[in-house]
Amino acid sequence: MIKKWISSAVVAATSILGTTFAQAEKEGGTLVMIVQPEPPSLASFVSTSGPIGLMAPKIYEGLLDYDKDLKAVPALAKSWDVSEDGKTVTFNLNKGVKWHDGEPFTSADVQFSIMNVLSKVHPRGPNSFKEVTSIDTPDDHTAVFNLANPAPYMMRALSAYESPMVPKHLLEGQDIKSSDIANKPVGTGPFKFVEWKKGQYIRLDKNEDYWKEGLPYLDRIVGRFIPDASTRTAAMENGEVHYGAYGAIPNVDVVRLRELDSIGVTTDGYAMINPVSLIEFNTTVEPFNNPAIRKAISLTLDRQFLIDNIWFGYGKPATSALSSSYSATGLYAEGMPNYPGRPNVEAANKLLDEAGFKPDADGVRAKATLDLIPYGEDWRRTGEYMKQALGDVGIELDLRYEDVPSWLKRVYADYDFGMNVNYFYQLPDPVLGVHRHYSSDQIRQGTHFVNSSRYKNPKLDGLMADASKEPDAKKRSAAYKEIQEILADDMPVVNLHEMKFLTVFNSKLKGHELSGLGAYGSFERTWFDE
Amino acid sequence: MSHASKRLRYVLKRLLQAFPIVLAIVVVNFFLLHMAEGDAVDVLAGEAGSATPEYMAELRKKFGLDQPLPVQLLVYLKNVFTFDLGYSFRHEMPVLDLVLDRFIPTLLLMISTIILAVGVGIVLGLLAASGLNTWRDTMISVFALVTYATPLFWVGLMFIVIFSLNLGWFPTSGMKNVAAFNDPWSWANIKDVAHHLVLPTITLSLFYLALYTRLMRASMLEQAGMDYVTTARAKGLTERRIMFVHVLRNALLPVVTMAGVQVGALIGGSVIVESVFAWPGLGMLAFEALFARDLNLLLGIFLLSALLVVAVNLIVDIIYSSLDPRIEVG
Repeated sequence: MIKKWISSAVVAATSILGTTFAQAEKEGGTLVMIVQPEPPSLASFVSTSGPIGLMAPKIYEGLLDYDKDLKAVPALAKSWDVSEDGKTVTFNLNKGVKWHDGEPFTSADVQFSIMNVLSKVHPRGPNSFKEVTSIDTPDDHTAVFNLANPAPYMMRALSAYESPMVPKHLLEGQDIKSSDIANKPVGTGPFKFVEWKKGQYIRLDKNEDYWKEGLPYLDRIVGRFIPDASTRTAAMENGEVHYGAYGAIPNVDVVRLRELDSIGVTTDGYAMINPVSLIEFNTTVEPFNNPAIRKAISLTLDRQFLIDNIWFGYGKPATSALSSSYSATGLYAEGMPNYPGRPNVEAANKLLDEAGFKPDADGVRAKATLDLIPYGEDWRRTGEYMKQALGDVGIELDLRYEDVPSWLKRVYADYDFGMNVNYFYQLPDPVLGVHRHYSSDQIRQGTHFVNSSRYKNPKLDGLMADASKEPDAKKRSAAYKEIQEILADDMPVVNLHEMKFLTVFNSKLKGHELSGLGAYGSFERTWFDE
Repeated sequence: MSHASKRLRYVLKRLLQAFPIVLAIVVVNFFLLHMAEGDAVDVLAGEAGSATPEYMAELRKKFGLDQPLPVQLLVYLKNVFTFDLGYSFRHEMPVLDLVLDRFIPTLLLMISTIILAVGVGIVLGLLAASGLNTWRDTMISVFALVTYATPLFWVGLMFIVIFSLNLGWFPTSGMKNVAAFNDPWSWANIKDVAHHLVLPTITLSLFYLALYTRLMRASMLEQAGMDYVTTARAKGLTERRIMFVHVLRNALLPVVTMAGVQVGALIGGSVIVESVFAWPGLGMLAFEALFARDLNLLLGIFLLSALLVVAVNLIVDIIYSSLDPRIEVG
């Protein structure tokens, strides 16, 4: 009897040990990931373009990183402290960190990165660091941020992707936007830049002197450019590439690939980005200067139909101006009007009748042109659905699908549009991702992805300004509830759905999902189980 | 005057004539490209997600886009005369480096395709014409018709499905195994590139193959009815000798003309194949440059293509005179 116990204990022990061994990370291997399209440069401190975000955070590091629950975890800063009044933030930096060229990383680099680079030339940096008045460097391993007002959102914008720390000794005195390291980056991260073969690949090799002991596991990361979506799918199926994120493999193919044992699919890793599809209205022209028609459109559209039929079930209907993923920080408010669970054509017709949009002999109440973001077939199909659905309530649409530069110029420089389907990253805080859409100081002609609706509401402006400085979580939630109520009632922008991007990966690849940034993470703990 | 010096004079004359043609091409391209809405700054800023108006104005100034159009043209022409094709602000690299880097893969694909398409096309056309209206002729004609009518991208994808996914004989895409990092001149690397070249070459050849087959067949049949063939037959020459020595040589002329014209088309026509097989050629570069409004780069590619077409046409004319001594250069 006892013998039996012992043997079963041994069996249990071996199986436990066995699993731990099976889970032990193995070193070596080359990860080939899809990077599409080919990035314009690798200067993540100047551009937040998606393909740059895939490669640069493996090379550069941020002060902080974020885990899967978006909780801040140490990166270049090993600890940090926010003062009582929220106006002083002290970062204690790790010691022994070196740039890839061998120079030591110090607090002077932090000061330079934030004050001279990110808050000057980064597209979102001036907003993220707008309250930072100065940075003190009492010693090489301490950086003290002095703020004019509390900036709770700033603490969510310190990742390698959003705010990379760059080498002062290579950038100082240079024109930052055209410096040599734009194409040949030098960072502190787990991988070093080796080679960029235009039209083919970018190669990064393991940083043998990485300051985190024993990391990274991979020998090499290669980012490959494959223009054709079907070929990308075939290369993934064939095992030639191991990782593709941000829709590199189209949803229509994922539905087939996810059945294979050799391939895994996840929607994790996009919470920091928080993408939401939406319609921007030009609130200065007929008929969209009337909120009734904007609300009627929101009431008519069947968001679940869009998700099921165009996005293959990946997504969630939008229910407010803020994405429901803000519920983790308590900023999302439930039960907003004009965001129905099911389409309500009756209510839409009633609204239009009351607002004086009378149907003519053909049942047409209003005519407009719908512009579509030229990022692929899915958007074109979204437009086709909307044309049909809105036709049912007498809004006749013409669809317009141009190339990217023409479309950007039309919507953000010429304001020559009526309604425009688009998607925005809401980012981990509304101050970073949502305010730019509605605030009247974000009516910036010629600047992309800001308030193209030209919506002006002084009350909303005030609420948003207060909310961005509010350190108290409860008061901040209350402020955002009011903001969402105003926006649900006025609807300068109608949100369509919370997008779920897909990451497709080879099942042998492990540990790529550990960061809250997903594909924009460092991949230092990524490894091959083979 | 000797034959050789006559030919040299001819080449020089043709080169002089090419000069105004290329210049006109550059000027026309310049204005055509500037008619497109939006510019490189719009695209760069758009991809970045957001940018301040000051930043965009600064970029335009840096790229020289704030200058009036005629000034931009003059600056460009002046640079071209000093073999400076300008700077691609999108790639942060000189245009010349970019274009030359992508020229070798294009040339590889182009030459292998032309050899395969013209070679096999001539053989098939010959076989079809020599067995006129037999099952052989019908089979070849149907094959030519089908390959000519099938869209290239579909053929490419089907090849990937069959030969890469199902049979595993060839890689799906790219120019070499990116995880291998062979030395560029090593035997392993040459084999690797050749391995990657097979599917794109066959795909691109199929379309042109059909064209050459049909052209060769028609040309052979036309020549077969000529008086000199009757004369040759009357002299008592064998059918084989008539076919291969007399008819073939004459029948090749239209095929060579066609091949010359199509070298230009091949640069552009390979966009689809380059895209499907992720082949890093000029076609893809031009395609991306267009959508990024990278006009310097586009103009550079156009200039190179124009030069290539001019050169190939000259070579074709010289081949003419070797094929048919009655055609004189000069």
